[in-house]
Amino acid sequence: MKTAYPLGRALAGAALIVAATALLRWAAPEYLSLEMARRLTGVLLGAVVVVYANAIPKSLMALARLRCSPAREQAARRFAGWSLVLGGLGYMAAALLAPLAIMHLLGGSILAVALAAAILRCMRARATVPG
Amino acid sequence: MSTVFKALSDPTRRKVLQLLQAGPIGAGELAEMFDVSKPTMSAHFAVLAGAGLIEAEKQGRTITYRLRLSVLEEALLGFAQAFGLQVTRPEESHSEVKSKQEKQ
Repeated sequence: MKTAYPLGRALAGAALIVAATALLRWAAPEYLSLEMARRLTGVLLGAVVVVYANAIPKSLMALARLRCSPAREQAARRFAGWSLVLGGLGYMAAALLAPLAIMHLLGGSILAVALAAAILRCMRARATVPG
Repeated sequence: MSTVFKALSDPTRRKVLQLLQAGPIGAGELAEMFDVSKPTMSAHFAVLAGAGLIEAEKQGRTITYRLRLSVLEEALLGFAQAFGLQVTRPEESHSEVKSKQEKQ
């Protein structure tokens, strides 16, 4: 299966994020309060989910050859992609806007619901094998 | 990304993508749904496949097209359908299809 995001690119992206954070901390420590750092971490985690979920309907093409009906499989893949992208956006919104005490709980709950919906939809598609 | 915008700029290609959202469809069956010649339709298919928005699967003598849209591309398709995205002039789009036909 051809991956849309190769490992080298992912590692380079991670290195860039760490380098940018270290640079900001070194250059302007007054802008990076503990609360802001926590919120930004949450936003970045949500962004990672959004980026990878965006590619799900495109990169999981090998699954299209599984036994279930192609139309159902395609619908499940699209649903999973949308569900996880919206979950990731929800996590980002929670990280930015929710009170710090419940930020991760709220974001995690949104993401968990999105993940559960995607898994259930894929399981339902596989359960209805034609013939 | 520009190839994606180019592919989405044509209403016929957008309609093809919309039809494929229901599931994979054979090339002949898809071509019959449009009031254009088969070579024109295969040029449209080539543009969509070139942009990575659809994938062709050959089974014997028949070709089946299936959707290959990321979430962002699908959102762009919805946006283009709603607001009529037109990034190339109609005559440009037409000449592009013609040149694809000539190549084949």
